[in-house]
Amino acid sequence: MDRLKTPLAAAFLRLFTVQASWNYDRMVGLGMGIAEEPLLRSLRNGTEDGPAYRAAVARGAQFFNAHPYLCGLAVGATARAEREGAPPEQIERLRAALIGPLGSLGDRLFWVGWLPLLSTAAIVAIALGTGWEAIVAFLVIYNIGHVTMRWWALSAGWNAGMDVVAALRHPLVQRSLRVVLPAMALVSGFCLPLAARWLAQPVPRGPALGMLGVAAVGLALLRWRPRLVTGLRLGLAAVGTALVAGWVWR
Amino acid sequence: MSTADLVLLAWGTLVGVDLVSVPQIMIARPLVAGTIAGALLGDVETGLRMGVVFELFQFDILPIGAVRYPEYGPATVAAVAAAHWSGGPLALGIGAGVGLLVGILGGLSLHWLRTANARAVRAASAALEDGDVRTLRRVHVGGLLRDAVRAGAVTAAGLAVARLVSLLDVAQWSPGALVLTAAAAAGAALASGGTGLPRLVGRGPNLKWLAAGLAAGVVVAWIA
Repeated sequence: MDRLKTPLAAAFLRLFTVQASWNYDRMVGLGMGIAEEPLLRSLRNGTEDGPAYRAAVARGAQFFNAHPYLCGLAVGATARAEREGAPPEQIERLRAALIGPLGSLGDRLFWVGWLPLLSTAAIVAIALGTGWEAIVAFLVIYNIGHVTMRWWALSAGWNAGMDVVAALRHPLVQRSLRVVLPAMALVSGFCLPLAARWLAQPVPRGPALGMLGVAAVGLALLRWRPRLVTGLRLGLAAVGTALVAGWVWR
Repeated sequence: MSTADLVLLAWGTLVGVDLVSVPQIMIARPLVAGTIAGALLGDVETGLRMGVVFELFQFDILPIGAVRYPEYGPATVAAVAAAHWSGGPLALGIGAGVGLLVGILGGLSLHWLRTANARAVRAASAALEDGDVRTLRRVHVGGLLRDAVRAGAVTAAGLAVARLVSLLDVAQWSPGALVLTAAAAAGAALASGGTGLPRLVGRGPNLKWLAAGLAAGVVVAWIA
């Protein structure tokens, strides 16, 4: 196991670049191949790239798509399976089977849970008078969760090999979902009125009421016409209209 | 180009690369990108306000899979610069207008990047199918460099627009426009956040937590 520490560390570091060559054909496939490669070096014949090694590298760089923080689970599991000489079809089936669960779990845990929870908490802190310290706290706490998840994913995949699906049912993962999602909902609701009050502070009373009016009309439009009205279009229309109104007002 | 412009350009490039390529530590979030851009300009207040506005716009986006979306990281850097050069925190709306336009440009550039990466993969597909590690490394690093160039170009364009807008001197031309655009941008951002966050929560059991938080937030906003 000691001999593996360096390749595992190299794979871990490379996982931070897993999306660097993201494309419409293989999505994160190439990044997966790059991250998996250090774990496959024992398949080489000395310094020569033997056929087993090249075939494993080629398989590792095929199409793959999942949440970037959880790609390590697939990298670890498939690298372990390659080293143990699992049949190629079985490895390909394993990769294909992991795409859906890793995407769904990562999206719920991070994009829907952890990230908005901490980002809205930072907005609350700013609205209550904290300054840049809220941003530092956001970055530190978010990345403790982020980096821990990346390392857990890679090591759990590597330890589990073909039995990796069991790792996804780890009690800590399921408990995290049960805590993070309601917490995100609570803090999100708490954040909105405080953000409104804080954003209205430097604006005189009349325009501040106008701000609430834009927010109310915008909410209605975004809910009723979600295909036509997006936050970006609403923002551009509101700023453009206000600019014209300001020109008339001067 | 001043030193401040160059520092902002470097920061915007890092922010743009963080979004997708490396290392995804969330410096691309508008809250972080905006606050640090403000600090680099010696105007943390404008950075924080613009960061909150674009963070609320960001909640309208769920970056899942191949979905196309505006890119608000470098856009927030440009927005903070535009607001700072046009009058500080009160020029929030001017900055937001610039940032939203740069956000569209960023989104288009991401689509270009993904297409260019796909072309590079197709060109190297024979070697990749053969398990050639050097080719794999070259194509992967190529994608990273392409993203750095893309992020730098988007930030540079954003800063150029911010400079041009500051030359219009809206504060002098119409002080009312500054206030009105600030209110309009904040209102639109609140509407985006007010739509995007409940969408993330969904209609399941967590909706009651959202309602409880909203009620508590209203009370605290009233008495604080």
